[in-house]
Amino acid sequence: MNFGRREKIGLGFFLLCYLTAVYWVWTRSSPLIRERPVTIRIAHWQIEAGPPDGIDAIIRRYEALHPRVKVEQQLIPGIVYKQWLRSNLAGGTGADIIEWGPWIEGVRDVPARYFEPITAALALPNPYNGGTPLEGVPWQQTFKDGLGGQRTDSPDPGEIFGVTLCEVSVRLFCNRELLREVTGSTRIPQTFDDMRRIFGQLDAYNLRSGRQPVMALAGAKDNNEWLQEYLLMGVTMGLNFTLDDPGSLFLANRQILAAYLEGRWNFRRPEVKAGFELMREIGRHMKPGFQQLSRDEATREFMHGDALFIFTGTWDATSLRRLASFTIDALRFPQPTKDDPVVGRYTIGRFADGGGVTAMAMHLNKASPHKAETLDFMRFMTSMQGSQLFTDGSGWLPATLGVKIPPEIVSFLSPQDGYALCQPYSIIGSNATMQFSRNMHLLTGEHGSVDKFTAALDEVMPEAVRSDLQSELRSLLMTIRTQDGRTIAHAQLSGAAVAGRNHAVLREVMECGETISEATALQMRCQLEQTAPTK
Amino acid sequence: MILATGNTCRRGAGFHHGAVLFSFPPPFCRTAAWWLLLLPAAAAEPGLTSVWQDIAESRSHLALVQLDRLADQNDRGAQLARAAAMLDDQPVTDTGLREAEALLVAVAGGTDELAAQATYLQTRLYQMHFAQPDFPKAAELLRALAARLPQSHWAQLGLVKLGLLQLYALPEPSGPAARLAVTEALLARITEKSLQRDLHLQLGLAGVFWKQPLAGVLEHLLAADRIGGVAGQASEDLIAQIAELSFRDGQDAQARQYYERYLREYPTSGRCFTVRVRLQMLDERAAAAKGARP
Repeated sequence: MNFGRREKIGLGFFLLCYLTAVYWVWTRSSPLIRERPVTIRIAHWQIEAGPPDGIDAIIRRYEALHPRVKVEQQLIPGIVYKQWLRSNLAGGTGADIIEWGPWIEGVRDVPARYFEPITAALALPNPYNGGTPLEGVPWQQTFKDGLGGQRTDSPDPGEIFGVTLCEVSVRLFCNRELLREVTGSTRIPQTFDDMRRIFGQLDAYNLRSGRQPVMALAGAKDNNEWLQEYLLMGVTMGLNFTLDDPGSLFLANRQILAAYLEGRWNFRRPEVKAGFELMREIGRHMKPGFQQLSRDEATREFMHGDALFIFTGTWDATSLRRLASFTIDALRFPQPTKDDPVVGRYTIGRFADGGGVTAMAMHLNKASPHKAETLDFMRFMTSMQGSQLFTDGSGWLPATLGVKIPPEIVSFLSPQDGYALCQPYSIIGSNATMQFSRNMHLLTGEHGSVDKFTAALDEVMPEAVRSDLQSELRSLLMTIRTQDGRTIAHAQLSGAAVAGRNHAVLREVMECGETISEATALQMRCQLEQTAPTK
Repeated sequence: MILATGNTCRRGAGFHHGAVLFSFPPPFCRTAAWWLLLLPAAAAEPGLTSVWQDIAESRSHLALVQLDRLADQNDRGAQLARAAAMLDDQPVTDTGLREAEALLVAVAGGTDELAAQATYLQTRLYQMHFAQPDFPKAAELLRALAARLPQSHWAQLGLVKLGLLQLYALPEPSGPAARLAVTEALLARITEKSLQRDLHLQLGLAGVFWKQPLAGVLEHLLAADRIGGVAGQASEDLIAQIAELSFRDGQDAQARQYYERYLREYPTSGRCFTVRVRLQMLDERAAAAKGARP
């Protein structure tokens, strides 16, 4: 190959450019990849007044601490959340942090498919708690309930997928001025009998006032379901203990589903029917047709002074207080006691009205391109500092221990003074919940009755419950299957150095958790086989 | 790439071999272009550590991309990594799993760590991953692994998995007591403490599932607790279970000890109310026993 003068100049010029570029890349190219700006997104459906402000406060502080990380908040209305969730996750465009709840119908498989388990990270202290009373405490133990609720919702008993932002309880919110008008005093109901008495006084008030009748309870499908779940949970607490074979003082949905298939309980059991009777009694104090209305309608009814009480979660409290033109009291709903004529003989004592249960669970998207930054933000968000910002901005109770509670929401706190064993039997799985809801008119409708309702449930529930247990099993298997390769990987990365030792610990933790999950899956498989309908 | 000038361009040739950049003779351009392309590729050739890191962090697809760029595709470590990544590279199909199994079988020959890991993963295919599990085949492979490399961690872990199959899935032995007995026999072959613990825990829970006497169940749960280090939420459950099952079995002192320990270790749990009620019931039982005594 003969080079002429032009070629030599060209080659020299090329080499000069190349060397300059190399020099530039190695010495001046900045920031390096790990230091370049990143944007992470957090998506949730809490568009009520409060939470977006709280999260915004967290984001502002975090961005000040980490200028290269930008955090965007995506507010997705609840009415389209399910569709948004499914389409974005399937399309790989989901946010980095995503709120999820097991009660959203048809998305039980989402954690197993799309979320990253964070169990190992939860076993280590949260660095953002340094210098606080929570310094050195494993992250999981910095939550009020130790993330017990997340464990219930996890498709895998050995793994936890979400961290929570708030503590929720259910409350009876009362229009104080209207209460005085109706009863002549502002004395709040202490017992369930007091509630019945107020219902009677309200009938008399409606007769003498001549105005549009005031309902005792603001009515909507959602509010009715929350109240029914609450009442049913109390009546069935004794039954729960009989189903808790392993003695863990805790029941997962899969245990209740399996027990149903094994014939250990059904909707005709006397305590369940008594619970339905109570639900029917309460339902009569909501306006006709409430099953067709959403929670916004109930809020509007209460705000207009057309209902004396609204039963809802503390998630609505900030909206109610910011919007109301009257004084609102947040009361603990008076629970039926052992002398109650309808459910008394099945009542074993007080049951929890939410105290200690944390919610608004945020999950790490498995497909997030910035997992390290995202997990770091999740740590900050749930640290004492982050949680304080959230509480102050949102008016919601914090999920994290040690956070100062503003005086105006102290009444949302529930002491540990009641049994907390499981979810109510109406929301044990997607299909069961759907059937329960679909047949509700047979209980609360004008011509409805407990017998009509239970007869309908008897017909549809065996198939629905079986399908829900199968779905639980599928989700569990899905999470277990992802662990074998990861276990071997941690073994390969194990070594004498600090990082290597961490991998060895992770391997052992994963093996232990996987064995527990696998045994659970095999038990469920046995239960499905043993209770399979005969052909 | 702004130097598209010179004869090459004017001739309208050479784009496909990089000569477009300079007015050099095509053979030179071709060689230079290939070198330029290869330099960054060679510099970025991934190591297996990076591949395993991706698999550990659920990025199996990225791991497979990296594996495709490895120079030595026949390296046993690379083959094992590829198989491990294929187990979680969606969509996972039985056909893909068969390909993974072929790789695992190739690595499994020998007696080193890689061979043990590959054999273990092969057993997992039959136990967990294929659309239709083949539990007898998985058990057969697990027994063979334990016989061939009895001291390997993966064979020991395999014995725990074999225990699960015997407890719940294999057709023989069929009765609950026999299932538990044959699985208890595995304990003697497991030398690693953490795996002994896991099998004890499973024996206890299986005893509950199969409605066996609580005294036997508690022995295993207590053994698991003595070894310690149960992962995550299961450790909290274990303390509650020992307390509650002891309470039901009338072993009041033990029940009290574990209820009190539960309150100390998990003071914010929603279960604390029930635990306090149980402690009151223990007090009442103790008072009643004292009153009944002559």
